[in-house]
Amino acid sequence: MKKNILLLLMCLLSVCPLFAQDMITISGQVTDSTSGQPLIGAGVAVLGTSSGTQTDVNGNYTISAPADGTLVVDYLGYERRQVPINGQTTVNVALTISAQQLEQVVVVGYGTQEKRDVTGSISSVKGEEIARQSSQNAVSALQGKVAGVSITNSGAPGAAPQIRIRGAGSALGSSDPLYVVDGTFVDNLSFLNPADIASIEILKDASSAAIYGVRAANGVVLVTTKRGQAGEQRINYNGYVGVQRVTNKLEMANAQQYATLINEKNGSELIRSDFPTTDWFDQILQTAMIHNHQVTASGGSEKVTYSASAGYLNQEGIVKGNDYKRITARLQTDFNITDNIKVGYNGIFNNYNSTDIPGDIFYQAFVAPPIIPVRKANGNYGDSFDFNVGNFANPQASLDWYNQESNGQQLTGNAFGEVKFLKDFTFRTSLGINYGINEYRNFRSQDSLTSVQYASRSLLTQSRSKFSSWLWENTLTYDKTFGDHDITLLLGTSSQENKSEGLTGSVNDVEYRSAANLYLDLGDPSTFNISNDADRYTFLSYFGRVNYSYQDKYLLTATLRYDASSKFPSSDRWEYFPSIGLGWRVTEEDFMQNQSIFDNLKVRASWGKLGNNNIPSSIFVLPVSTSSRYGAIFNGVFYPGRNITETVTSSLFWEVIKETDLGLEMGFLNNRLTVEADWYNKKTENAIFGLTNLGSLGLTGEIRGNYATFQNRGLELSAGWTNDISADIGYNIGFNMSFNNNEVKDIETGNNAFYSGNLPVGGYQVSITRIGDPIGSFYGYEVAGIFQDEQEVAGSAQPAAAPGDFRYRDLNDDGVIDQRDKTIIGNPNPGFVYGINTGFRYRNFDLQLDIQGVGDVDIYNGNRNVRYGNENFSVDFFNNRWHGANTSNAYPSADLTGSNLDPNDFYVESGDYIRIRNLQIGYNLPTSLVNSWKMQNFRIYLNAQNPVTWFDYNGFSPEVGGSPISQGIDRNVYPLSATYNLGVNVTF
Amino acid sequence: MKKILTNTKRNALLLFSILALAGIASCSEDFLNVDPEDVAVGEDFYVTEDQAILAVNSMYGNLREFNTIAFGWLALTTITSDNASKGSVPGDAGFLDNFDNLTFTATEGTINAYWIAQYQGINLANQVLTNVPLIDMDETLQNRLLAEAKFFRAFHYFNLVRAFGGVPLRTQVPVPGEQESPENLNPPRASKEEVYEQIVADLTDAAQVLPVSYSATDLGRITKGAALTMLAKVQLYQENWQEVLDLTAQVMGIGYSLTPNYHDIFTIAGENNSESIFEIQAQTIPGDCEASNSQWAEVQGVRGQFGWGFVEPTEDLVNAFEEGDERLDATILFRGEVTPEGDKIIETASNPRYNQKAYVPSSVTNECGYGKDQNIRILRYAEVLLMHAEAANELGMTQEALDALNLVRNRADLPDVETTDQAELRDIIWHERRVELALENGDRFFDLVRQGRAGEVLRAQGKNFVDGKNEVFPIPLQQITLSGGTLTQNPGY
Repeated sequence: MKKNILLLLMCLLSVCPLFAQDMITISGQVTDSTSGQPLIGAGVAVLGTSSGTQTDVNGNYTISAPADGTLVVDYLGYERRQVPINGQTTVNVALTISAQQLEQVVVVGYGTQEKRDVTGSISSVKGEEIARQSSQNAVSALQGKVAGVSITNSGAPGAAPQIRIRGAGSALGSSDPLYVVDGTFVDNLSFLNPADIASIEILKDASSAAIYGVRAANGVVLVTTKRGQAGEQRINYNGYVGVQRVTNKLEMANAQQYATLINEKNGSELIRSDFPTTDWFDQILQTAMIHNHQVTASGGSEKVTYSASAGYLNQEGIVKGNDYKRITARLQTDFNITDNIKVGYNGIFNNYNSTDIPGDIFYQAFVAPPIIPVRKANGNYGDSFDFNVGNFANPQASLDWYNQESNGQQLTGNAFGEVKFLKDFTFRTSLGINYGINEYRNFRSQDSLTSVQYASRSLLTQSRSKFSSWLWENTLTYDKTFGDHDITLLLGTSSQENKSEGLTGSVNDVEYRSAANLYLDLGDPSTFNISNDADRYTFLSYFGRVNYSYQDKYLLTATLRYDASSKFPSSDRWEYFPSIGLGWRVTEEDFMQNQSIFDNLKVRASWGKLGNNNIPSSIFVLPVSTSSRYGAIFNGVFYPGRNITETVTSSLFWEVIKETDLGLEMGFLNNRLTVEADWYNKKTENAIFGLTNLGSLGLTGEIRGNYATFQNRGLELSAGWTNDISADIGYNIGFNMSFNNNEVKDIETGNNAFYSGNLPVGGYQVSITRIGDPIGSFYGYEVAGIFQDEQEVAGSAQPAAAPGDFRYRDLNDDGVIDQRDKTIIGNPNPGFVYGINTGFRYRNFDLQLDIQGVGDVDIYNGNRNVRYGNENFSVDFFNNRWHGANTSNAYPSADLTGSNLDPNDFYVESGDYIRIRNLQIGYNLPTSLVNSWKMQNFRIYLNAQNPVTWFDYNGFSPEVGGSPISQGIDRNVYPLSATYNLGVNVTF
Repeated sequence: MKKILTNTKRNALLLFSILALAGIASCSEDFLNVDPEDVAVGEDFYVTEDQAILAVNSMYGNLREFNTIAFGWLALTTITSDNASKGSVPGDAGFLDNFDNLTFTATEGTINAYWIAQYQGINLANQVLTNVPLIDMDETLQNRLLAEAKFFRAFHYFNLVRAFGGVPLRTQVPVPGEQESPENLNPPRASKEEVYEQIVADLTDAAQVLPVSYSATDLGRITKGAALTMLAKVQLYQENWQEVLDLTAQVMGIGYSLTPNYHDIFTIAGENNSESIFEIQAQTIPGDCEASNSQWAEVQGVRGQFGWGFVEPTEDLVNAFEEGDERLDATILFRGEVTPEGDKIIETASNPRYNQKAYVPSSVTNECGYGKDQNIRILRYAEVLLMHAEAANELGMTQEALDALNLVRNRADLPDVETTDQAELRDIIWHERRVELALENGDRFFDLVRQGRAGEVLRAQGKNFVDGKNEVFPIPLQQITLSGGTLTQNPGY
């Protein structure tokens, strides 16, 4: 035993010695048994040792092995073969494609399953596809890859994208899916280096996801990180350097145009037209560098396998001064202690450091008048006050003044033990942890930059937050085949606790010498201000699953999960979540054996019930409001105040999702063409929803309870075509498209709609949620045209209007324009999303082109609508505006005040876009050359991510996002950027 | 190791697995009963005397809210009047132009914010009035706290009834968990008279309990004088002249006195002086800008020098001051002037005039923004005298009216008024009320309506005052919608 442990340790450190026997050098080629084409990257290992290699681009390998040994040859999608060496020095191996290539294994909750046996809707994306993109977030890399998954990226470094699986299913509750990384539940994947991922599975339908019951309402994203393989020692380096540039920059009015607009707006010569122009976006934006390096080592023996990696990312933001650095490290080891006992662990560590920028800098640049100079002649910052147009921050001054550093560390890990016993039983226990800290330090110096940017005292803010969770899961699996019957039973428990706490302190008057004296105790103690917040919640669940197949023809999956969450009152805490899935592999039937059209035909149907508890903790608990603003001042002394200002619902229970899925899987032409289609109907009942309180109740906030029912229905299609024409030429094309239709079926307010989507000016609300329409639809007036002259105004339903104002449609024909004339003017829920993913290879060259888009979606151009006064306009507005009779019947005059700001369909624009998501050209150096460098593989590549996006929207980016009831309102988004990289990928 | 595993042990393993799966259940409910973290739980509140005091403090703190005293308040009460126009620069906060021109509609967000702000104040008072009586505590203190709450409830209902006429009359807290009847949760508008009746009842109760004064540490609390003065004003708006006369006479007996120099009233040093009856207390609390949140002065401060520059005093207001009236200089800050405190108002200021009653010298800290230290004068003794004069004149007690009126005039260095013609004297008192209280407490628009001459006066200023409509504001459309149509709209909107 001791010796074993020593051996394990040595293996861990990759110094596993080979015990010399009669070693001979063997070479050969691995090919496809039918086409004879070489298989590139096939694994060749010596059975019972840690020795292994991979085939090169010609399918050739060379390995040293005992003359009486056995080679194990492995290739994805092919049957694994063991070939005795018998003293030969040339061993060519032909692998047969595994039956219909469908023996692709997919990860399902608490296990794996062969793709052909799956009865639900699960999409898989391989690690290679994710790593190939230069996305820094794995979720972002999924954009356009998977039917039914809609992803909205943010351009900010380190920011997590928004993901929706099969539409928005919750309102107050988060619509984010559950992420499971190697069995550990996490909130997002920002901490994970995409290059560490072996595969991502997306469990889309209720039957697949139901094993995660309470957590699975919005789908489950299962991430499996890379694990070492027995017999292949490998070291891989992948690195790239590149630049990011803003694309689709919105052109803003120049100084002269601005003066024209503002003078027209205010009806007087307020502004001279000869000021020089400041382009504020040019002023704050930059071409940003990015570089990324990753080293991975993996390998192992029959006893121990390991995989370790370290990565470094340095990404500048497209705004000057913004910088993001990330270090990731990962270590994974599995120990096969005996044939029946296996233990292992997996740890992922992440550290980031960021130099931040003001959150509203894009909005500042958008509104800042172009007549304001960056600096005045005397060197001071240009000041809006000098121009009498209202208060505007100087964006450059904002950037220079802003001083915030943030950093965070996260450790996500998992340890498991697995025992096989009584032949068919496996007991597994797994403990996952997720622990992290985030910090920021903000220092606002005492300064006076402009008339609106000044501080008479410095302010230092330090903030620390930490979160921790543990997850303990136990499963017992029974797997048995009796003749034609194949059965797998799973029983399990899961318990979890999540905790988080934040502490923020601030103080005035710290004297700045350097960052070294930015500490709270160096400030004026009488100005200490502390805030503290915390959260804790627990889950407990029992679950079971039956997988049964008869003759590989008839498939059944049934699950039941019994869940409880501390987020609900004890009376409504426990809930059952059942599901069932059925599959029929038609091509296995006798009557299908004589046809040659279908290589695979599978029909499946599933139904399941899921819960959503992605809601804030304790919303059924009536809180006391403790804010300082309730404090009284008597005789100049502050006394805290408290009171009850909210109300809560007396009963709160699970948001329940019921989903039906019908699926069809087909394979044609030797499975080179595969087609998969799914139809689903997903209904969210008792959706937890915040309702606006009637003003006369005098409450703050909203009342939250089980107040709504939503439905998402849709169709998903995906097709793949692979054609390896010869050893030198081949290509593949994948296409996916999904349609989703969202509808509100019920809402507590009945025929009374729920309004949201507040605009910060005029108290306007843009979004409506009402029975029969999609959640968060845009609501307002229809514009019939623009009033051209006083005469037209006089005869209209808007007697108070001025020429150049919107002429609204009097929908009820009562001669008055009022709230009753408002109607649905747009739908921010995407109608369809699609992606085309292609790959070509010719000799040593390869090319990938991915295209992705969104259609049938609306954006509310909030940046255009929200106006307090003399904000800048876009050139588009300048060119098209009304400025005298018959100059425009679509765009209003520059006088965007009064009723012109009331939400209307002028501000609703199409958010459709199509984009080249990724374009990559790679070249593999010739094997002979590479081998002479003692390398296995050397690939260089050029990559362009998001180089081109086509859209009509008059904003920076059609990717807007937002919570379902207030989504698609563009107020301040990070502009789009393209990334161009040059990278190398080397394997030793 | 495989060999070591005997059958027995294997069976034991199976048993263990099952036990491990089931084992967690035993402590499950404890595990799931998680106390809400970092939440002050409502059911633990309103138990102790200290909590009763905290709750009463919240009503005072709430008065500093933006929607209670800044944009919403200034828009409805002051920018609408002939005393001020929107101010700032053209286009800035353009929606306030609708108040300047009286062209607002029911969708105007500022009106909704005003509505909500008043009801939030009412809820804080209702919470106190519902819950404090149940606390076992010092009875004298308990009664005083309840009286303070009644004052605030009346104060906010008065702001509502003047602006909207009849409004939903809610005197209890909403019971958590919707166990209330829909009529209770969503009451229709009470009549204007019913609202006034409630206000009078609350203020009458409050005046009976509240002390004439407090110890120094409680400076700023509601006093008996404040309740009586408020009640007098409420009666004034209902033209119950005898009540106004009696109530003001009661206040005049308490011991308030006019500040010799009018200018001093509005300085930081002059806060809570002998003329003061009720002020909203505002102060910079070092390190707690959330508590230093009164923006009343900031939104009116000199644009480009101190604040945002809204509420520009009109030429008409300047001309309203008589020759030699000291109050003109104390009320209006002119572009380019040098203040007594030594600030030069910049020549490049956007507006020719600003509200000097919202002026805070630059020597005062602005670490939480400009003007956070300026108390808002709501009730002061000069107004008591003017109400007394007005009521006396209406009741034919001319000499009593002149005596009170001339006290106010003499302080402003103006000669006595001697007329005994009731109608002429009425106009003089109205005029005196305008110049004495200009830009201060938000009465001007409502005074014009009460005096029945709002249309005449405001149309002369170019405002679109429509008789029979603009006497009140529209009920916010959002509230009508939320009420499912239970709330009805005012005529003309």
